[in-house]
Amino acid sequence: MIKQYIHKGNYDATELDGEWIILNTDDYTVTKINEVGGVCWSLLNESQTADTLTQSLMDMYEIGENEEQVKKDVEEFLHNLVECGLIQNVNR
Amino acid sequence: MKEIITKIGDHFIHIICDSNKLAEMFNVNFLTINNYNLKFDLSITIKEGYGVPFLDYKVDITKNNDQIVFRRADYLIEVDCEYKVATILVNNGLALKHALMNIYSSFIVYRNWGLLIHSSSAMEKDNVHVFAGQSGAGKSTVAKLSYPRVLLSDEATLVKISPNNVTVFNSPFRSEIEADKLEREITLDSLNLLYQSHLNKRNSLTKSEAILRLMNKVFAWQHSQEETKNIMKLLTNLVNMVPVYELHFQKNNTFWELIS
Repeated sequence: MIKQYIHKGNYDATELDGEWIILNTDDYTVTKINEVGGVCWSLLNESQTADTLTQSLMDMYEIGENEEQVKKDVEEFLHNLVECGLIQNVNR
Repeated sequence: MKEIITKIGDHFIHIICDSNKLAEMFNVNFLTINNYNLKFDLSITIKEGYGVPFLDYKVDITKNNDQIVFRRADYLIEVDCEYKVATILVNNGLALKHALMNIYSSFIVYRNWGLLIHSSSAMEKDNVHVFAGQSGAGKSTVAKLSYPRVLLSDEATLVKISPNNVTVFNSPFRSEIEADKLEREITLDSLNLLYQSHLNKRNSLTKSEAILRLMNKVFAWQHSQEETKNIMKLLTNLVNMVPVYELHFQKNNTFWELIS
């Protein structure tokens, strides 16, 4: 089954000069992500797979090649967000 | 029994103290006012004879429907949820100072007024520069090295964060250097995070990095979701209006060349 991810709870996300700070008030943690991460974070309001996120980024930033590398980066980013307790796998 | 009216930041605070000895603390750095017709922002009753002398900084916080309780080995604070009426029980003068810092910090966050930040601050011309750091980072050292500039704090800085400007008030919460009489608020020009070093160097921080580094410089607050969100909001406004730097400084006054 293709893994789908979505925000795990309600968070306060603040954008500052292209970087994002995400406050998790359940665990009292803060996470900083860069601009592209912020785009992915916004899309994760609704459930996404590594493929749908990759496609959105390739369209948004007009990337014509290296799709495999983009997908690899997206998968790593999703893994990190799961580790930080910010998103969850909705297939579970 | 002694009755005192003091002003901290721009808040009027009414104090009833059952110990004349503890009440003397307010003679040193606190502004006292002889006007009993004022509308008080916060009323505090102080009682002596609680707990043991200072053990550590650990504060247990509990909240029920109508009261928040802050409990440390040497003090106990009971305050209503709107921060209007409080009772503070303390072991000694140090406990009273820390308890007042604790309640005032929570009070100004609750009101979205501003933050009490672990830092010293000094005036240069018409502006003020804040030097923040945890215990041992050099706040007092920098305060002493800033002589003859007017010091607004040597331990805890009162930072008011309004939608369009950030100002600093003279802080009564002092560690070593007594407060000058200064009643107006001063515009905050820069915030510097302290690192002792062999060379003077000042690096600009991004706003998001500044927020992350400042979070643990804010005095204790009750870990509720609402207050944590308030602190994030206040810190966001702060870094949007004031530049934040990493200041590596030698133990002499030459670091001021990087600032003024």
